[in-house]
Amino acid sequence: MTAEPLSPEPIAALPIVTVSGAVHAYGGQPVLRGVDLALRPGEIYALLGPNGAGKTTLIRVLCGRIRPDGGAVLLNGRDPARVPAARAGLGLVPQEIALYPNLTVAENVETFAVLADVPRAGLPSAVARALALTRTTDRAHVPVKHLSGGYRRRANIAAAIVHEPSLLILDEPTVGVDLDAREAVDAVIRGLRDLGVAVLMTTHDLDQAGALADRVGFLREGELVLEGRPRALIAEAFGERMEIQVHLAEEVDAAGQDRLAAEGLEPTGRATVWTRLDADGYAAAGRLDQRLREAGLAPREIRVREPSLAHLFTLVADRKLAA
Amino acid sequence: MRSVWKIAAMMRVMALDLWRDRGALLMTFLLPPLVFLIFSSVFAGTTGDDIQLKLAVADTAHTPDSGRLAAALARSPEVRAETAPTADAVRRRVKAGQADAGLVIRADPASADKPFLIIADPSRAVAAPLAQARVQQVLANALPDVTLRRTITQLEPALGGFTDEQVENADSAAALMRQDPTHDDGGFFEREAVKDAKVGGGVIAYYAGAVMILFALFSAMQGALGLMDERSTGVADRLLAGTAGMGPVVSGKFLFLVGQGTVQALLIFATAQGVYGVAAAQHAVLWLPTTLAASACAAGVALGLVSVCRTREQAQMLSTFVILVLAAVGGSMVPRFLMPPWLQSVGWLTPHAWAIEAYQAILWRDAGIGAVYKAWCVLTAAGLAGLVLAHVLARRLRR
Repeated sequence: MTAEPLSPEPIAALPIVTVSGAVHAYGGQPVLRGVDLALRPGEIYALLGPNGAGKTTLIRVLCGRIRPDGGAVLLNGRDPARVPAARAGLGLVPQEIALYPNLTVAENVETFAVLADVPRAGLPSAVARALALTRTTDRAHVPVKHLSGGYRRRANIAAAIVHEPSLLILDEPTVGVDLDAREAVDAVIRGLRDLGVAVLMTTHDLDQAGALADRVGFLREGELVLEGRPRALIAEAFGERMEIQVHLAEEVDAAGQDRLAAEGLEPTGRATVWTRLDADGYAAAGRLDQRLREAGLAPREIRVREPSLAHLFTLVADRKLAA
Repeated sequence: MRSVWKIAAMMRVMALDLWRDRGALLMTFLLPPLVFLIFSSVFAGTTGDDIQLKLAVADTAHTPDSGRLAAALARSPEVRAETAPTADAVRRRVKAGQADAGLVIRADPASADKPFLIIADPSRAVAAPLAQARVQQVLANALPDVTLRRTITQLEPALGGFTDEQVENADSAAALMRQDPTHDDGGFFEREAVKDAKVGGGVIAYYAGAVMILFALFSAMQGALGLMDERSTGVADRLLAGTAGMGPVVSGKFLFLVGQGTVQALLIFATAQGVYGVAAAQHAVLWLPTTLAASACAAGVALGLVSVCRTREQAQMLSTFVILVLAAVGGSMVPRFLMPPWLQSVGWLTPHAWAIEAYQAILWRDAGIGAVYKAWCVLTAAGLAGLVLAHVLARRLRR
């Protein structure tokens, strides 16, 4: 079985999918509040946001499963909720392994190819291509239930790309897999991007989003509050400042917490880790270390690093950063 | 045409899924004939005419004729008589379940007073009349002279007495009967089997149909539960995001389950024919549409019921409840003719009753299409209603 490239898609300037002012509510509770989004061919877009931010609803809107109360959605120029044929250009990779476990990878992919209207004559080549692109050819005839987690994730993607969609939506594509498997999935996603597929993925793995996505968007309470290239967003939010992380040996009492706060440190999710941003980086960290030791709060370790997407995400989620 | 391929693709998924789960495969196709054999053995013995009641007998009268009756009962193939020394011993055996019923011969059988006492446990109420009938049968066959003398004793006061000659003639007749008990069974009845060639097969044909519809529904429920797996594993999300939707999944499952039910029926009736001589092959022309209609009904009802549920747990509970209730009311567990009339009427609301009666009509009564077309229509309509419901609810999943 040899890998053949997907049919060449012209790298058009026009977006494959556009969402304009999408508004939606469930039972009077707003879930989407005027979301604007556009994806172009050959682009990876990571949709970030805490649980309940509206990511699932937005995906359902993109898939045409929900017609938004207001605004417009166009997939390849057509409304996917009104024109079923528009959904032919869409592939969805659910968070779960949406495959039949007793069937082999090839049988699964072939089944979903038939269901996605791939012509019968082209079935074998379409299946072979999807397996090659997801690097699952060597497991083509293994039942899905016998695959490792990484192979299952890639087989899950194979079933979604067998009909050569122009937009691929991945919902948490690497949840629950180890580092090697995640890197393999990332490589598959990059490969699809290079073939001109527009990829929209949701993830809670902010390292993955930072490394993989061309653009990220932060969804908060139904609003797309921040959008752009990861490096640019980080630079814009933090400038030249570095993140200083203070790791304490043990939790401190209220007085100690007041002292840390007076140094401009903020608590993180872990009680013994406090953080602050400082343009002086390492020099500031040295001075901070000395002052904390004098105050009887000797740090176990102080780390200095460039701010990450995770840091930005925390600021956005906690409303500490203006949109 | 593309829709046909999509439905065929889903049928293939179901077939491969079953084929690779060898445990499920065996249970799907081996259990139905096995359960049929068990059911038919159990019920052929309890509803046929060869029931052998276990009867505890105590002769406390100790007359020559009471001794003759006890001995005749011991010889009779109709009962399994066991001698007990006293009436209390009989009561103890019945109470302990060691005997189905008891008989105490407390006076000479020819005496006018009630000479027999039947003892039965209320939990086996049917045993009392059955024991009574068996004793009367043995009395008439083995002791006709006693029956005659008893009759004369009862008639004499009403007729104002008999002449000496009449009494002499009666004694002669009684003596003749005693010498040759089979000369006259003294009964009112003669038996005629309506179908000489099929003695004992009626119950078998009944249970072949009963087990077929029971398993068709049971297996269809298991297959339809796959709809829940498709929802929970994201397969439904994947399909609803594309052009296919869930329509081909529902239709593919329906057709597969109809085929599965038909194969199960084939195995059950082949067993019935091979083991008990039920003439299924000879009635294939009517058997096949009946089987297809029953299988379609089971498939449609199962898909409809599972589609109504939101979770697999709900669907499993509902399917277990529905399978048991329909089987009980519809006659898959106990023959319908043993049920009270109102329950027999309610039974017509179940596919089981229609399927069982249709098979009975074809295989036992050699009925033509006129006797079964109504069952075909009812079963098919129920199946299609379930299928439509499943399609409608699958469409609503898009939201």
